[in-house]
Amino acid sequence: MASRSERRNVCVVGVGHADGPHATGRQPYQLIAQGFGRALADAGLTKDRVDGLASAGHTGMHEVAVAEYLGLRPAWLDSTSCGGSSFEFHAHHAYRAIEAGDVDVVAICYGSNQLTANGRTLGTGGAGPRGMQPPGPMKYEFPTGLTLVGAYAMAARRHMHEFGTTPEQLASISVQMREHAARNPSAMYRDPITVDDVLASPLIADPLHKLDCCVISDGGCCVLLAAEEIATDLRWSSNPVFVRGASGGTTHHSIQGMNDMTRTAAAEAGRRAFAAAGIRPADVDVFCSYDSFTYTVLVMLEDLGFAPKGEGGAFVADGNLRLGGALPTNPDGGGLSCTHPGMRGLFLIAEATRQLRHDAGDSQVRDAAVAVCNGSGGWLSTQGTVVLGTEAR
Amino acid sequence: MNADWNDNPAWVVPVPNDEDREYWEGAGRGELRIQRCRDCGLHQHYPRAVCSHCGGDAIEFVTASGLGTIYSFTVIRKNGIPPFRDRLPFVVAAVDLEETGARILASMPNLAPQDARIGGRVRAAFRPVGDTLGFVDFEAIE
Repeated sequence: MASRSERRNVCVVGVGHADGPHATGRQPYQLIAQGFGRALADAGLTKDRVDGLASAGHTGMHEVAVAEYLGLRPAWLDSTSCGGSSFEFHAHHAYRAIEAGDVDVVAICYGSNQLTANGRTLGTGGAGPRGMQPPGPMKYEFPTGLTLVGAYAMAARRHMHEFGTTPEQLASISVQMREHAARNPSAMYRDPITVDDVLASPLIADPLHKLDCCVISDGGCCVLLAAEEIATDLRWSSNPVFVRGASGGTTHHSIQGMNDMTRTAAAEAGRRAFAAAGIRPADVDVFCSYDSFTYTVLVMLEDLGFAPKGEGGAFVADGNLRLGGALPTNPDGGGLSCTHPGMRGLFLIAEATRQLRHDAGDSQVRDAAVAVCNGSGGWLSTQGTVVLGTEAR
Repeated sequence: MNADWNDNPAWVVPVPNDEDREYWEGAGRGELRIQRCRDCGLHQHYPRAVCSHCGGDAIEFVTASGLGTIYSFTVIRKNGIPPFRDRLPFVVAAVDLEETGARILASMPNLAPQDARIGGRVRAAFRPVGDTLGFVDFEAIE
């Protein structure tokens, strides 16, 4: 363990994906175990070196159950559960705990059989809260019939009103993600689509069409973070990936609490994370953006400073998200085309790591040195930003 | 309004508690009850023990005018949960009330999707649920 006075560098040392996007028959813990085992093998670590565990699920003491299931007795736990961005918060907290010397190796784990268990219903009611009272502010929102997709749609509509953003511009995000998925053999949907295809797909909640919405899949993922002194003995020591900075924030829970639907907490989280990492938006080679919906990407691009507020529509329509574009985004195809098992935040860190190791094959962003992951949870409610790089800060 | 809007299965009937009974029962009487902070003068919806604007606890219930403006809206075209799936499509709006500081999310059962617009002036309408409670909907002002 490090002394209190020295700050250690922190690396991503292992990444593992569970089977997906279709894993019919596998339970969530099985998917977690599969991802964990593959991440350990990827790192060249054994599980007895793991002394910290983070996970988010949908039940109390989830991370403790994961520890028992995997046969771990961690000294450090994080169960921050703020939707899809939970894992960026976990990475932030783990990075600081490792940096400080509280813990050496943290496993961040997630697994879900969303598709198998609930079909394609996540954003439009799902099994629904039948038989139970919705918690907190949802008590007032649920009786209106608003859906998860509807909450994002309302925010997108406001952005269109204030800035003239068009459905075509939003659709161009889906088109570019699909181009990336076409290069990725493990992506869920790989056939090319056009802006017209997106606009011709059924409206789910105006102005969002079916193809403005992410896929629903099964899957799991594990990311291992460790102190640099440990990383230097591991498998990827010649292509290290460092955590350079991270932050998070929240503005609301239910969409009714989002005072300004055109601005998210990513503006503040990003500013803090970029400052900690010592980077500016122009330094970013790869952007791993939560893309639950096309609008999620658009508002995040603006809030993180990749495009001025209100100009995200023109930015995406210009093709900047493509491989070879100004800001290659989600080279794996993202949640819109690759995989989205309920919560996607951990997959962003996995993809950024693959890119920074220059191990991404046909999806590789050339000479990638700085990657930003931005997770979004709830209904644009929580935002977590993690900056990774091939150099320590 | 489609008759389905008054058919509310048990899972959508609110269960009031000491904190929010005033809101649900107010709606049952045809009143939109929101909270006003005596310290900062701003309003909030839904009922809370503190002012979400200034943090003070000098909270009082007041009856809102019921008038407001659509901040944003969507048209729900897919919802798998009954009774909502039987009402499709329908408009849900975020309404900024005339009383500064308060926004409320509400369905607009009588508004045709093509007539919804941001900035539209709206007024509260009340839909009974259970024996004494109500839902707050909104309708367009001509």
